Amino acid sequence: MAILVDRHSHVMVQGITGGAGKFHTERMLAYGTNIVGGVTPGKGGQSVFEKPVFDTVAECIEKTGADVSVIFLPAAAVKEAAIEAIRAGIKFLVVIPEHIPIHDMLHVRREAVAHGATVIGGNTAGVITPGEANLGIMPDIAFSPGRVGTVSRSGSITYYVADTLTRSGYGESTCVGLGGDPVLGSTFDEILWKFEQDDKTKAVVMTGEIGGVYEERATETISRMKTPVLAMVGGIFAPPGKRMGHAGAIVEGRMGTAKEKLDMLAAAGAHACRTFTDIPETLKKLGV
Amino acid sequence: MRLYEFEGKELFKRFNIPIPPGRLARSPREAYTVLSEMNQPAVLKAQVLTGGRGKAGGVKPADGANEAKTVSERLFELKIKGFPVNTLLIEPRLDIEKEFYVGVTIDRANYKLVVIASGEGGVDIEETAQKHPDRIIKKTLDISEEFYTFEAFGIAKQIGIPGELLRAGAAIIVNLYDLFKRFDAKLVEINPLVLTKSGDLVAADSRISLDDDAVFRHPELKEMGIESRHEEGEMTEREKQAQQWGIPYLDLDGDIGMFPGGAGFGIMGNDFIHYYGGKPANFMDSGGGPSPERIAKMLVLLDENPAVKAIFGARFGGISRCDDFARGVVMFLKDHGLSKPIVMRMTGNMWQEGVRIFQQAKAENPELFDRIEFHGIETPIEEISKRAVELAKGERSD
Repeated sequence: MAILVDRHSHVMVQGITGGAGKFHTERMLAYGTNIVGGVTPGKGGQSVFEKPVFDTVAECIEKTGADVSVIFLPAAAVKEAAIEAIRAGIKFLVVIPEHIPIHDMLHVRREAVAHGATVIGGNTAGVITPGEANLGIMPDIAFSPGRVGTVSRSGSITYYVADTLTRSGYGESTCVGLGGDPVLGSTFDEILWKFEQDDKTKAVVMTGEIGGVYEERATETISRMKTPVLAMVGGIFAPPGKRMGHAGAIVEGRMGTAKEKLDMLAAAGAHACRTFTDIPETLKKLGV
Repeated sequence: MRLYEFEGKELFKRFNIPIPPGRLARSPREAYTVLSEMNQPAVLKAQVLTGGRGKAGGVKPADGANEAKTVSERLFELKIKGFPVNTLLIEPRLDIEKEFYVGVTIDRANYKLVVIASGEGGVDIEETAQKHPDRIIKKTLDISEEFYTFEAFGIAKQIGIPGELLRAGAAIIVNLYDLFKRFDAKLVEINPLVLTKSGDLVAADSRISLDDDAVFRHPELKEMGIESRHEEGEMTEREKQAQQWGIPYLDLDGDIGMFPGGAGFGIMGNDFIHYYGGKPANFMDSGGGPSPERIAKMLVLLDENPAVKAIFGARFGGISRCDDFARGVVMFLKDHGLSKPIVMRMTGNMWQEGVRIFQQAKAENPELFDRIEFHGIETPIEEISKRAVELAKGERSD
């Protein structure tokens, strides 16, 4: 088993006819992802890499049985596309674009909760279950099938963590990029709990980041988990009050410094790591 | 994107939230003119994109034109948390009976909007929130939920707005909420909302932060002269240059030039350099899918920084492809030239093509690569971090 996506998922791509949509659809297919079709309003009837394109999500679901969607669209179009997908019955949605207006994401989240759907992103590199399905833009060189789950706000950190797990022989069950935007479709606690219920996942590496509020939300879940959680938080040496790239990575008063987040996670039972090489060492000690 | 007080008040006006009749002054001379025409006791308020203005001496009273001139001369010399004072907002002084607080913001962890109000407005509102949470009224709403006037009326009553002003108070709260939603705000605050001795409610200050990512759908902001802005006080020359090139960049005080990929590892890579005994000279983020030109410009920023002794490069290509990365590095080497040692690692999407580009350029111009130590996925990033620290130490003249 894996979480969120596997070889049996029927994946559609919203924005499949766009530049980024096409480029990454080809990559996802080459990885073996079961992409069944795509949606671009007004371009129904065309095909991309021999996959049918539909005008609406509902048609795509009806004709292909799609149950997962990956969105490659301009940020301004995400709210409409995501809510269309959720209302049409998609239960798992990956939102790749960055800079989605915050109020739009609040609407998307509300719809997701109301319909029992899971949304990942925006501004995420995606989700990969190594050897089975790659949703998004993650470079497959870093990944190999295995027994450790990862969840991170950053794409590049996900690659480094997976690279470390791959070279040390642990491999990954599923890797989830929550995304770097200030309001995200899913939070650490929600993904951690999915890993907790997954037989294949023997440990989880969560990597947080200075700023924002989502690491704090994870502590209660970590304290209830039997699966060990390893935690890293970026920005320990970041100068306070400086904004470093990610829209969400702003120190919010006393909340959100990297050190405080890491201490909080450790107090909840997570195993704190400083660099990537600490990860296999910690896993070894834990007997994973 | 934070707005200046006077810009926020302009929006208040559009949403029928009463404000004092203010005017702007951009020089002591203008302050003099404003006061001579206003002809009543006034307050001069420095317009800066930061809090703590009052405590930093950025708000001063003045009675008459001459005093306004001398007071404003001092205000224009102030720097408040690094922000120079270029504009003053001059308003008639209010006779304050009582100060309230009203605000709307986002509770990101719970995905809700929150209307916040208190009968104890003013500079110490955060302290009040900590010590006497019972004196803060909070109303949580879903993004798609309507906020009704009767609810605002209840809040107005709870915070102690007097009976004859309850309707006016409720309207202000509802209008503030409408402004929040209409303009994609992250935060709107009236602090204080002043009850004057003559029995009026007036928004004496404004604090508004809008979502930069939603500014595109509010063209009226541009008409008001409000555009995206840097919110971190004064920028260094290099930060200004980087901003012109569209590269998120900050100067730090170390000597290792940081040339990472995305922001995530950009932030964590700085930690690694610290762990191995070095200090980064900067933070930088290439953004998703940078062009070769952008990659080259990132290197120019580092190579031309005299504080930089060595450069740390990392590229794990996701949406940012290694072939474009390699093209950018080669472009920089050919057009600009490298004066510092670099240790870098490149892997991820299209890495084979990236390596091929490097090999070809090296075959043509081997001398360009003299100071580059190049690694692929076989070398852990920790080793690259350690090596960058060594290189920086080796280059030190002392």
